[in-house]
Amino acid sequence: MFQTFSLLLLLGLAPGADVVASRTQFQEELRVWAAASLGPVLGELRTPWEEATGASLVLNLDASSRISVQVAEGAPADVLLTADRAWMDWAVARGVADASGALRLAGNQLVLVAPAAIGSVESAPRDRIPDLSTFLSGQDPSLRIGIAGEEVPAGRYARESLQALGLTAELGGALVTGGNVRTVLEWVARGELPLGFVYRSDAFGDPRVRVVAEVPDSLHTPVEIWGAPVIRGDSPSLAAEFLDFLMGVEGQAALRVAGFVPRTGLASRASAGGFPVHAAAGVSVWSAILISIQVALVATVLAMIPAVGLGWLLARRPFPGKTLVSALLLAPLVIPPVVTGFLLLSLLGRGSPLGQVLEAAGVTVPFSFLAAVTAAAVVGFPLFVITVRNAFEAVDSRLEEMSWTLGARPRRTFWRVSLPLALPGIGAGAVLAFARALGEFGATVVLAGNVEGETRTIALAVYTLLESPGESAAIWWLVGASVAISLLALAGFEYLSRRQRHLVRRNPDV
Amino acid sequence: MSEQRPVLQARVSIDLGLLHLAVELESATGAVAVVGPSGAGKTTFLRILAGLEAKARGRVSVGGETWMDSDEGAWVEPWDRGVGWVPQDTLLFPHLSVRENLAYGCPTGAGDPQREEALEGLAELVQARHLLDRRPAVLSGGERQRVAIARALLSRPRLLLMDEPFSALDRPLRDELARRIRAYLDREGVPVVLVSHEEADADALGCREFHLVAGRLTP
Repeated sequence: MFQTFSLLLLLGLAPGADVVASRTQFQEELRVWAAASLGPVLGELRTPWEEATGASLVLNLDASSRISVQVAEGAPADVLLTADRAWMDWAVARGVADASGALRLAGNQLVLVAPAAIGSVESAPRDRIPDLSTFLSGQDPSLRIGIAGEEVPAGRYARESLQALGLTAELGGALVTGGNVRTVLEWVARGELPLGFVYRSDAFGDPRVRVVAEVPDSLHTPVEIWGAPVIRGDSPSLAAEFLDFLMGVEGQAALRVAGFVPRTGLASRASAGGFPVHAAAGVSVWSAILISIQVALVATVLAMIPAVGLGWLLARRPFPGKTLVSALLLAPLVIPPVVTGFLLLSLLGRGSPLGQVLEAAGVTVPFSFLAAVTAAAVVGFPLFVITVRNAFEAVDSRLEEMSWTLGARPRRTFWRVSLPLALPGIGAGAVLAFARALGEFGATVVLAGNVEGETRTIALAVYTLLESPGESAAIWWLVGASVAISLLALAGFEYLSRRQRHLVRRNPDV
Repeated sequence: MSEQRPVLQARVSIDLGLLHLAVELESATGAVAVVGPSGAGKTTFLRILAGLEAKARGRVSVGGETWMDSDEGAWVEPWDRGVGWVPQDTLLFPHLSVRENLAYGCPTGAGDPQREEALEGLAELVQARHLLDRRPAVLSGGERQRVAIARALLSRPRLLLMDEPFSALDRPLRDELARRIRAYLDREGVPVVLVSHEEADADALGCREFHLVAGRLTP
């Protein structure tokens, strides 16, 4: 028995080796660009599909707004699956989705979820889940609510609903924008946010959250899942086959089980159609520039004393574990910023011991201005320390010895000789850290979210605008500001570096 | 009489890999010149006396005070020794003016008329009064050396260590300066260790010569 199993394993046929299997077994592959909310159900359907057709399924999951734009820009997709009619219409209008093959596959419902474990929000009996307005009327309006981006279908449905209830102004400041609906789900599931707008299907599959309110369909455009073959796709027939599969008994059953509304349950009314009127994405250019500069400045100032201290220690003092400390300090330079952001969220989030201590002290870091500052400071810190270390190392240590022989103890020597001689280099490090903080994106989007007027920096604003057609003027303002500030900062760095070299140039030999 | 007691006593060794230095030196007069070829360890010997070589072993005493005794674990930190160090490349503080460099080691505070007097006097002694408000970067090699000597003397040293202090000066100025410094040291009673490869400098300062060859000292 064991031998048989080993043989299977060797042949890549045993369970658990299916990744290997899918690479070797299939001749054809179908590339599906799908709305993030479809991730779990497509994962369920992968095996039956692959068994039925012998073609492997390659998935790219993100917000409909992002995948649609990616496909329009030539992403190598065969099928596009969006979570609303509007983006499908847009893709058709751009000539990338095949209108003749476009199908309405299913529906969904928008709900408000809370973490299952944390009792920050009043619980309701399972069969008497209130509707959105009833629920919100009993809540503290300052509670933070996760919501998908303005151009993401889930985000748009949620905003339409808030608008219909006349709550936009009241709740606007409490909304924390996530890249797609699964991001919002993850934030709430991890307990980082007390509430979030997701689809019923998202809440269905995740025991870490519970539905606290349902959003009536009457408040927003109906949620419709659309699919279409991509016109320039490599496998048009396979794409059509896949859509048929989703429309068939097996596909529809899986969708129903996953919490979607199957096709037969949908109202048969024709959708309004046409290109959606995109509301302004709610991105203020000036606010983004101002926030970027504020975040970068505060981050640089906070990093100053530790950077100077550590830079001096590394330059001048041997101590045990120096190599390790030095490597750890540089880590944020090479670790993907998104990973750094995740680690910071794990460290400072509500679920962590440190996060709980901070919260008890009245400080909530994630999704705040402080979070953006933290992300920027951590990512900029290595550059700061390296530059400071180099500056101290460039100071002739015999000048410090000379100061000692003249009666100045090490502390006094530091203030009167080492520090003044390294000052331009420290300034250069600060400017470099500032510039890096200004360009920070990955760690910020994870730790600080994308809160308009609070954590939406230039980089995040550009990212938000990229998925809202017709905002290119704003993008160019932001791009211009970003490039200008960065170049200015780098010019400052260059100037200060030259000053540093000039200052510590060894005396010519006598 | 205190003359009987050696002013300077050193029996030190250090292993720096390429250089193994072992020096035994005793001076009753407190005027010593260490001469010898480059690479023999002259500068290292001065650094040991100044307390800048932590790896050195042995014993150093100056004016009856023990600065270092590795057998007994005695150690006086460089900032408590009161040496006036004149390194070969002067090591003037580049961010300070000549006046600030001179004042750096002064025991008394700024604005003290006595200190101003001493500062001006020593600047005059090394013929550097006109340089007081300049930065080291604009000085010539010889000017730097003169400022470095004045800075060391202004700290009221208990031992003056001079490492090729006149190398950038021409002969007449060199002799004149050596004569003035010798007079100053005699008057103030400051012992001196001079490192040079010119015996003329040692003679001008009235120093007894020792030859340091490849880490070993010979009278």
